Amino acid sequence: MSTNHTTDDAPTDETSETDSRTAASTDPTGDHVLELDSVDSGYGDVQVLDDCSLHLDAGEIVCLIGPNGAGKSTVLKTIFGMLTPWEGTVHYHGDDIGGMAPEDIVREGIGYVPQTDNVFGSLSIEENLRMGGVAREDGLEAVIDTLYERFPLLDEKRNANARTLSGGQRQVLAFARALVMEPDVLLIDEPSAGLAPNTAAEVFGHVEAVNDMDTAVLMVEQNAKKGLGISDRGYVLDQGTVRFDGAADSLLDSDEVSKLYLGGG
Amino acid sequence: MVLDLLASGLVYSSIIVLGSIGLSLVYSIANFANFAHGDTMTVGAYAALVTFGAVGSLGGTVLGLPYGFFVALVVGIGMAALVAVVTEKVVYEAMDVGSIGLLITSIGIAFVYRAVIQMGFGADFTRYDISALRPIDALLPYGIRVTLHDVAIVASATVLVVGLHVLLQYTDLGRKMRAMADNPDLARVSGIRTDRVKLATWVIGAGLAGAGGVFLGLFSRLAPRMGFDLLLIIFAAVILGGIGSVYGAMLGGVLIGMVTQLTPILSELGTILPLVPDSWGIPIGIEYANAIAFVIMVAVLLVRPSGIAGEAV
Repeated sequence: MSTNHTTDDAPTDETSETDSRTAASTDPTGDHVLELDSVDSGYGDVQVLDDCSLHLDAGEIVCLIGPNGAGKSTVLKTIFGMLTPWEGTVHYHGDDIGGMAPEDIVREGIGYVPQTDNVFGSLSIEENLRMGGVAREDGLEAVIDTLYERFPLLDEKRNANARTLSGGQRQVLAFARALVMEPDVLLIDEPSAGLAPNTAAEVFGHVEAVNDMDTAVLMVEQNAKKGLGISDRGYVLDQGTVRFDGAADSLLDSDEVSKLYLGGG
Repeated sequence: MVLDLLASGLVYSSIIVLGSIGLSLVYSIANFANFAHGDTMTVGAYAALVTFGAVGSLGGTVLGLPYGFFVALVVGIGMAALVAVVTEKVVYEAMDVGSIGLLITSIGIAFVYRAVIQMGFGADFTRYDISALRPIDALLPYGIRVTLHDVAIVASATVLVVGLHVLLQYTDLGRKMRAMADNPDLARVSGIRTDRVKLATWVIGAGLAGAGGVFLGLFSRLAPRMGFDLLLIIFAAVILGGIGSVYGAMLGGVLIGMVTQLTPILSELGTILPLVPDSWGIPIGIEYANAIAFVIMVAVLLVRPSGIAGEAV
């Protein structure tokens, strides 16, 4: 694996914990856990991402917002190897992972929760979790026990088929399945999609809980206010490129972002 | 007579089930209807024929079958799996076409398998060099005419089907296979090496088809068209059960196998049912057995469009 450092990605001590909660967005030389640099990407001949650059630091929750078709989900798919970057690089802990297959990227320590069809409906909850851990070398039972403790509703229904779960419960199982690998980074595509407001709030609570397990979260969210509300930082994507970025609070307070992307100010 | 037909239905069903499981497995994971599946059965049968010719009747017998036959069975399973895997690697995997393209390709592959067998063995039918057995005496008073060979077919098929069930439910590979059939994208996202699982599926599906072919040769006889002739019935079983569902394929296989073998009852209803004249019956002979099977399939699909065990759309 080549470590092709870009200008923005100076080699620094991996173990130094940057103060990402407050200063990440203004920290150009931090050792980002995940970094996209000038990425172009798309489906077939259709380009979606255009010179898209963003990063994620350890311990952060970062939210991607923007209108439909802006390329938010495409960012996640490009990071996770379901799409190969046409131009630019995707670095994870300094290694170029652009173009690696999803089943290999999982083994590197990145997890992905798709927006829809994100559980194995015909498998039991226990089996879903086991499938989440196929790439683990050891410690599977222990981590599954930990997840049962954290999400008791999964424990109660461990032998039930996943398709019997409600929408919110499925989302919890989808998170848990991805967490079996104990990833450094979790990519979550629209966790609140299709959920009632109460349930969505619960799911956002779970995103924060995931983050408390030392997992950095890069989340796409249609509900920009709610998404930014639990995030440290945010990026506003439009037409495949980053229009605004900064601390979540400042994006929420920005008149321009509000007017253009948050539905009036 | 009904008991006798039920018994032969059970034997025939065993063969159909072995064929339909593989078809359904491959459909659910490789994502196309493999029209070469019937001829994969033929490959298994002829591989067993050759092997049995070589090892012969070595040693004693089980259920009226020489030990050598079981060696031939294993080789038939292995050869069917090998041929299918090579075809998958060399042809299907290399082709960048959709499931319809693969379906058409598999019809061509079916012709290739059959042509090669016909070149080697001729177009005529043949049999394993095993003498036919008399029906089991103890069952004759009940009107059941089954041989030990029939018992061997049902017993072997049962072992294979139970083995598959254990594999699917209780092993890591089986869980991965079910996960992949359920949601291939999520399987990759979870880190499952889907190409390996797919290959294992081909081995298992084609292996079971090979076993079905070997037993079909024992049940009736071997001919280059034997598997292809059975393919439509196997498709009926798979669709009836719910395509893509292994357990549906088992159920569909039993139902279709039974229905085809029970067809003669229709013309003899009078002698079976009380309160109707003995001469009464629906004049439909065994030659319409396959048609009856399809009528049943259509009737079930009208009520359950995705098959008995298929997921509701």
